[in-house]
Amino acid sequence: MKTSLYMSAAAVALASAPAFAEDLTVFGPWLGPDQETVEKVLAVFAEKSGHNVSYVGSDSFEQQILIDAEAGSAANVSVFPQPGLAADMAARGFLAPLKDGTEAWINENYAAGSSWVDLGTYADKDGNDDLFGFFYKVDVKSLVWYSPENFEDAGYDIPTTMEELKALSDQIVADGGTPWCIGLGSGGATGWPATDWVEDLMLRTQSPADYDAWVSNEMKFDDPKVVAAIEEFGAFARNDAYVAGGAGAVASTDFRDSPKGLFSSPAQCYMHRQASFIPAFFPEGTSVGEDADFFYFPSYAEKELGNPVLGAGTLWAITNENDAAHDLVDFLKTPEAHETWMALGGFLTPHKGIDSSKFADEATAKMNDILLAATTFRFDASDLMPGGVGAGSFWTGMVDYAGGKDAAEVAAEIQSSWDALK
Amino acid sequence: MDNIAGRKSGLSWAVNLSVIFLVLLWLFPTAGLFVSSFRSSDQISANGWWQSMFPTEQNVTLRTADPDDEGAQELVDGLYTVRGNLFDGEDTADISVWGYSSRAIDDFTVGQTAEMKDGETITVEANGDYVWTSPEKLTGRGQRVFATATTPPKFTTENYGTVLSGSGTDGAMAKAFLNTLTVTIPATIIPIVIAAFAAYALAWMQFPGRAILIAIVVGLLVVPLQLALIPLLRLHLGIGIGKGYLGVWLAHTGFGLPLAIYLLRNYMAGLPKDIIENAKVDGATDFQVFTKIILPLSFPALASFAIFQFLWTWNDLLVAKVFLIDATGQTTVMTQQIVELLGTRGGNWEILSTAAFVSIAVPLLVFFAMQKYLVRGLLAGSVK
Repeated sequence: MKTSLYMSAAAVALASAPAFAEDLTVFGPWLGPDQETVEKVLAVFAEKSGHNVSYVGSDSFEQQILIDAEAGSAANVSVFPQPGLAADMAARGFLAPLKDGTEAWINENYAAGSSWVDLGTYADKDGNDDLFGFFYKVDVKSLVWYSPENFEDAGYDIPTTMEELKALSDQIVADGGTPWCIGLGSGGATGWPATDWVEDLMLRTQSPADYDAWVSNEMKFDDPKVVAAIEEFGAFARNDAYVAGGAGAVASTDFRDSPKGLFSSPAQCYMHRQASFIPAFFPEGTSVGEDADFFYFPSYAEKELGNPVLGAGTLWAITNENDAAHDLVDFLKTPEAHETWMALGGFLTPHKGIDSSKFADEATAKMNDILLAATTFRFDASDLMPGGVGAGSFWTGMVDYAGGKDAAEVAAEIQSSWDALK
Repeated sequence: MDNIAGRKSGLSWAVNLSVIFLVLLWLFPTAGLFVSSFRSSDQISANGWWQSMFPTEQNVTLRTADPDDEGAQELVDGLYTVRGNLFDGEDTADISVWGYSSRAIDDFTVGQTAEMKDGETITVEANGDYVWTSPEKLTGRGQRVFATATTPPKFTTENYGTVLSGSGTDGAMAKAFLNTLTVTIPATIIPIVIAAFAAYALAWMQFPGRAILIAIVVGLLVVPLQLALIPLLRLHLGIGIGKGYLGVWLAHTGFGLPLAIYLLRNYMAGLPKDIIENAKVDGATDFQVFTKIILPLSFPALASFAIFQFLWTWNDLLVAKVFLIDATGQTTVMTQQIVELLGTRGGNWEILSTAAFVSIAVPLLVFFAMQKYLVRGLLAGSVK
């Protein structure tokens, strides 16, 4: 066991005691209905292991975890929505490495296993790489939502390439409709939906290697390739005819309200690009698969970059080591842990050993197929970049860009904020 | 005299008007919040609260009964027919125009029959009654009807149910309410007791360094409490208090003390010197002067500070999160409970507005019970 300064005396005593039933605290970003779901999954673990498990959620997870870790009162297991934050905490010695063998297990059992290992491997206090995070629960972001019945009324087909998608957008405009609903508003996080757009378009215009270089800043943010991806986003978001409410409404529309335009009468827009969680914000009674459906945000046929998928996920890491925490990570490896949440809905997983008939609905199963069929899977870049960029200047820069600022100028500003962090 | 009287009345008009303006300025958003708390989230995103109190014309998407349901369609004169009401008989909305395609939502007036593809027809009446016919057996989902309808105002108390009963475990809000009281009451009383003693000493007892001490207390007023969060939490964990009620009481006491001492000292220093000197001449000790003279006279200041401190601790989320709410989740306060109701990505405005009215109830009671002291106390120390 790695000795950790931040551990309270009580926790050390607990960890070293050879007790079977222990208290295990889990801290994560889920609240409301999601919290009930994660509690049900943890209840299954509690029943199997005999440990006493409790979960607490927070809407300000990113700040709270730092306060708790600094003060030494962190929960045993913390669920990070952003690997960047976990890497930062590992470097400061706040995370305990996972047991040996976990790496081999992920490589073997997860689709694109090595990329999940890489995403969970960070340098510790002394600079040695170790596996700290276990991915459980994944989101797919490369989805375009639409109303099948509106498409049917207008006689539109699902586009399978980016060229077709653009042609469809023009077609909708020619028919007097508005193709897209785009909303960037999200309180203090305003701008993040645009970062997903740019990342998706980056994957569709540049090679995965370029994407990785961009994430690590080996390729500068103001590189022409990145600027081109931002302008590609502008082709959608800064085109008055393309966006419901006009380009001026993009930055001020709340991302939670923007998909509602798909279902209004008359329809404000026909398509909405957003991650797999968005049905939570559809109007009450909307059934996914019937009233609303989605298709894969297509790639360019001419670029031959395959079918890249952008995603995100939550990373479970041990912030206050005890035996129960390791038991929990072992439990998360079992197909049962994945299938329990799958049955409760809203859960995707790269685990290859699961029974896909256990998905709560067909829509989720279809999403998981998109995930498993990806030729390239890349994690949300803004979650991997340092917080000051990925959860700061990238967001605000995108708001500026949507407001009419020049793409090269915005990119240069984001790069200079990145330089300032080094 | 006329002149003076006229000027006076003109001025009081101005005062009255500006008071009315300010009251409206404050009440207007509150009223909006109150109305919103009785609306569902879809209603809130559809139109503004000011429109909700009158019948409004809205574009609505409705759907006929599912023809695959048993008994939904019957064979009438060789046509498969589905009859029913688009509003399921619940609403008393009034349809003016309608259409069957999302691209032409106002093609037909009520009573007209629309010809759709494959020989299907549909007729919609103003009250939502419809007849949908087809030469072939109908399959698939119910036909969508886009109607422009005047709907009466509709309110719901569901939000209050959600907030009061909590979405997850039963009684979570009741527990949070008790937890909040457990935090607030001691966190109000402890600083008042300490501050009253300190204020008396700083106002009426002679000792070296008194002026410096007062200056330090005033200086502490401008120190943001965020600075102290992590060092204090470390201290608490280091000396074994950990996260819990004792820790949050101490923290609230510490953060409240500078203002309390400053407010009470200024008030006490303004009390007539003669009474205190007389008491001293009669042989009263400092403690007797404090308990028998100063405390009763300072009641307005004490009460007003109590209101301040109570409101601040009642509404507090930050200090509770740092010093109280531990990873077991057993010590949730109301503010935290409300945040949890908002969900992972927030945006449940209807819950937010409802929760505001639920959590405001106790502070309102406290305020009305003690408000006559508040204004008196607000002036504490400002007039010599």
